[in-house]
Parts: sequence; structure tokens; C-alpha cells
Amino acid sequence: MKKSSRRFFGSIVGATVGLPFLSLVLWSFAERWFYPALWPQAWGLRAWRYITSTAGFQVMTAIGHSVVVAAVTAAIAVVIAVPAGRALGQYDFKGKDLVSVLLTLPIIVPPLCVAMGLHLWFIRLGLAETYAGVIGVHLTFCLPYAIFVLWGVFANYNPDFEDQARSLGASRAVVMARVMLPMILPGISVAALFAFLLSWSQYLSTLIIGGGRVTTLPVLLFALMGSGDRPVAAAVSLVFVAPAFIALLFSARHLGNRSLAGVR
Amino acid sequence: MGELDLKNLRIDYGARMIIRDFNLAVRNGEMMSLLGPSGAGKTTILKAIAGLLAPAAGDILIDGQSVRDVPPEKRDAVMVFQKPLLFPFMNVAQNIGFGLRMQGQPGREARRHIGAILALTQLEGLEHRKVHELSGGQQQRVALARALVLKPSVLLLDEPLSNLDANLRQRMRELIQTIQSETRMTMLFVTHDQSEALMISHRVALLLEGRLRQVGAPRELFYQPADPEVARFFGGRNFFQGHVRDGKLHSDLGVFPVGPQNGNGHVRTATIRPEDIRIAPRATGQSRGLRGRVVKTRFEGSSTRVVVACGANEVMVLTPEDAFRPGQEVEITVPPEKIRLFPGD
Repeated sequence: MKKSSRRFFGSIVGATVGLPFLSLVLWSFAERWFYPALWPQAWGLRAWRYITSTAGFQVMTAIGHSVVVAAVTAAIAVVIAVPAGRALGQYDFKGKDLVSVLLTLPIIVPPLCVAMGLHLWFIRLGLAETYAGVIGVHLTFCLPYAIFVLWGVFANYNPDFEDQARSLGASRAVVMARVMLPMILPGISVAALFAFLLSWSQYLSTLIIGGGRVTTLPVLLFALMGSGDRPVAAAVSLVFVAPAFIALLFSARHLGNRSLAGVR
Repeated sequence: MGELDLKNLRIDYGARMIIRDFNLAVRNGEMMSLLGPSGAGKTTILKAIAGLLAPAAGDILIDGQSVRDVPPEKRDAVMVFQKPLLFPFMNVAQNIGFGLRMQGQPGREARRHIGAILALTQLEGLEHRKVHELSGGQQQRVALARALVLKPSVLLLDEPLSNLDANLRQRMRELIQTIQSETRMTMLFVTHDQSEALMISHRVALLLEGRLRQVGAPRELFYQPADPEVARFFGGRNFFQGHVRDGKLHSDLGVFPVGPQNGNGHVRTATIRPEDIRIAPRATGQSRGLRGRVVKTRFEGSSTRVVVACGANEVMVLTPEDAFRPGQEVEITVPPEKIRLFPGD
């Protein structure tokens, strides 16, 4: 593609991604903005001041809850997905097709049904309205994605590297830590990122299982949006997308130059 | 020391027996080739020696000690795979030092060993390169260096040259030979390329269909193949039957003196290599050769393969002259001393 046309398409993509955010940014700094004005009639930091001081504690707590829940969910998802992905990517076994269908079920079945169904069980198990319960329901959505990512990673993984390392004197445990892990690290990062972001954006399942007791950022965001204060909702929304942006930048920088090409 | 002994080895893959009754002794300081067509189970044998898969039966001895229950990381046999398999997250020096680090060697000593091996494998100056910045030949040399630096009793090489182009292959083969004669390291070199095996090794072991057919010096396998299949593997053609009477082989191709030590009466298979037959355009007047007609020719550069019909037989001749055309009447001469008679059944 020519440089000019690449720039053209790049700006289209940038605009579709960026424009919705622009209106969020405008709203968060608007004091007064009524129809049919194109720009806010009065600018101000009221919304930002509100979420940093008046509701600051609430927002910070919600961010903390969200970070903890998403991080724990991502960690558990990766710990399970690595052996699962290895089994699926490296070996052929009976029932592999069934496993892949089962893995897509939580993605195919509407989240509402999953959350409602699990709620009854979680009440019985004493997991309703607890962090463990929320992490559990998030895992039902995050785990399949993490497993699919690592399935793909292990499908392209050459186990001869491990044999080579063992022949060179590395024990089984050392091979895992010093050879397998570094080789699949890009895949693990992607899987963890996926799981983290998916958990980060869960609203419905958090609300149902957490019963309002576990207030993550999306739960707070919906509450604020319900109150009709648009500038505040816009400011919280921007806080909400921040980790996704950071993650995107991180992955682009970090994973981009970790190509394994040419060494297999 | 580096003696390798394989005793009655049997290796199964699932329900399939890949290797059976495999016996092989590699002497200390020897370069032995394990030769066989693809899929003959050569890599499987190397993996068993390295400890990467367990044989179903039999024993593996290194320097007289059974290593059946020794895990791969503790075995004094290091394997170099067909692909370089360099760890992509390490640079050249780190790759070469991997095994030394596993042994817990202190840094300074390890660096000294790595430096020496870099010189031996002609990799000086590349130690800080990333592995994807290396050419194929360099990668394979690093893989070799990574194993050599450990100074194992037995070095197992699994077709390490097969991914290289012809020129590089030749250079790398010479390098391995030089290293072997300098270090006197016992090496078992797996290859499917018969000329490579003949060139590189002190002795060659030929593996066909999971069985060892013949072990011996390169010339022995080439000139005295144990059976027609071995001969065929080394490019032998022109198999014919005959019976021996009074030191002479009576066959469809004629009567040839073969020496009195060959027993009388039995029908035997004989072969003559295509390059040993002499061919000439048919001359007028007296002739002492076999008469025939050229059926087809195949130009191969430095030589030409000519198929000649002699009565009911077709004889393949390899000649340096590109002077024959299909349909031409020719005369071929079979030197009796070049005929190989296989032992009778």
C-alpha cells in the first residue's frame, strides 16, 4: 500500500475509534451543554472535581475492587489455561471436539442466563455477594478466551525445544521455568490481558452475583449514569477505559518486538 | 571415554514396533554414521540413547554402565537436533552456555569454555547476536557448539546438515570432521544421505526397515554390500542371477570367472555397479563384449546414465561420456573382478 493511502485509511480507523472518545472528553469538561449547541456552552472541571473529591473515595474504592477482581481473575485464568492449552494444542485425545464445544458455551449462551443460573448455585454454596463468587462468575467468561489463546500458542509450539533443553542438562522443572515459560510468554501476556479486560468490563454478572455488595467500577458507573449527571458519567467512563488504553499501548510495545519468527 | 553399546534394543510407538533387535557398538573416539531412509527409525534410536524416550526392551550402555534408568539431563550423551532449536530469548553466548549453567559452572570458567568453543566452531564475534540475526548455517553451528561445550561422552547428531544448502553442507561436514578428529569425541551421526555417511564417518551402520543390515567401514559397505538391498541403497543396479561352476559364474549376461572360493552349483544373485561397466559404440570386426542396444539415456552432468538392452536383460551403465543415443548399437564390457556375488540363501 502507498504511504498516502495508508495514511488515509489510518485516519479513518483513528477517527472511528477516537471520535466517540472525543465526545466523552467534551462532556466531562462541560458545565452547560444544551441542544442544539455544537459545543458546550460553559466549560469547567466540576465533573472531574466531583469524582476526585466528593465521590473520590467511592471511585477509588471501585477502582480498587475492579483491579483486584480483574487481576485475580486473570491470574487464575492463566494458571488454568496454560496446562489446558498445552493439552489441547499439543496432544490428540478422545473428546477434544467436545471440550472445544464446551469451551465456547459460556460465550454462546447469553451472560444473563449464565449469571442467573450460577446465582442459584452460588447462594447454596455461600458464594453469592462475595468476591470469590464474582471472580468465579468472571472466570466462566474469561477462562474460555484464555484457553483459546493458549491453545493457539501451543498448537505452534515445538516441544523439541524442551527435549533439546533436557538433553543439555535441564531437569523437567527447569525446562518448564526456563524454556517453556519464556517461549509462551507473549501468549500468556495476551491471555492475561484478555482475561483482565473482560473481567474489568463485566457489569451484569457482577451485579447479579455480587448483589450490589461488590461494587466494581462498572457498577458505580451505571449508578452514576442512572443519576442523569452526564459530565460525571463521562468522566467516570474515561477513568473506566483508561486501563484498556494502557493495556493496548503496553501490548503494542511489548508484544510487537517479541516475534518468534525465523527461529523455528 | 565414550563407548556406546546398544543391546537388543526394541522401541515401540503405540502398538507399532519401530526398532527391533537393534545391536550396535560405537567405539571410543569413533565417528559412526547411522544411515537409513527417512522413516527408518534413526531419530527414534537417537532419542532413546539421549533418554528422551524409553525403549520397550533392551539396554543402552555408556562406558559400560547401563543408563536405562538415568534421566536425559543426567546422561552423558547430548543430542543435536535436525533443526537448530536455539532458544529465541537468549543470545548466542547464552545459548551455548545453557548446558554449562545447568551444570552450575561458575561464570568465569563457563566464559572460557564458551570462548574456546566459539573459536572451534568459527563463531567468534557473534556471541552477542540474537539468534534470529544468524544465518541458517550459523544457527546450526551454534546448536553444535551448545552441545560440544558440554564435552559429552557421546554426541548424537540427528541430520544436522539436512536443512542447509549444498555448499554450506559441505563446509559444515568438513567442520564436524575437523572437530571430531581434534576432540576425539565419540559421535553417532544420523543421516539419510549415503554419500554424506560415506564421507564423514569411520564406520557406517545401515538401518533398513527397523533392522540393522550391515555395519562396517564406508568402503566395505560400498564394495561388499551384505545383501542386494544394501547394494541397492548405495546406488547399486544390475542384479542378475546365475550359478557357479568350477569358479565361473554362468549367467544371462555371460560367463565370468569369479574365483574358486565360491561354491559350486547354487543359484546366486550377483551385481555390478553401473559405473564399473565399460561401454563403447559397436565396432566392426571382432568384439569381446556384450552386444546391446541403447534404450534410454539420462544426462546427469559429469556422467550419463545409459540403459542398454542385452537380450532379455536391461543393464544400467554410468559413463562419463555423453556420446550415446537411444537406438544406438553398443558393446558393453563387464569386468569380472568388479562383480559382487551375494552369499547364497
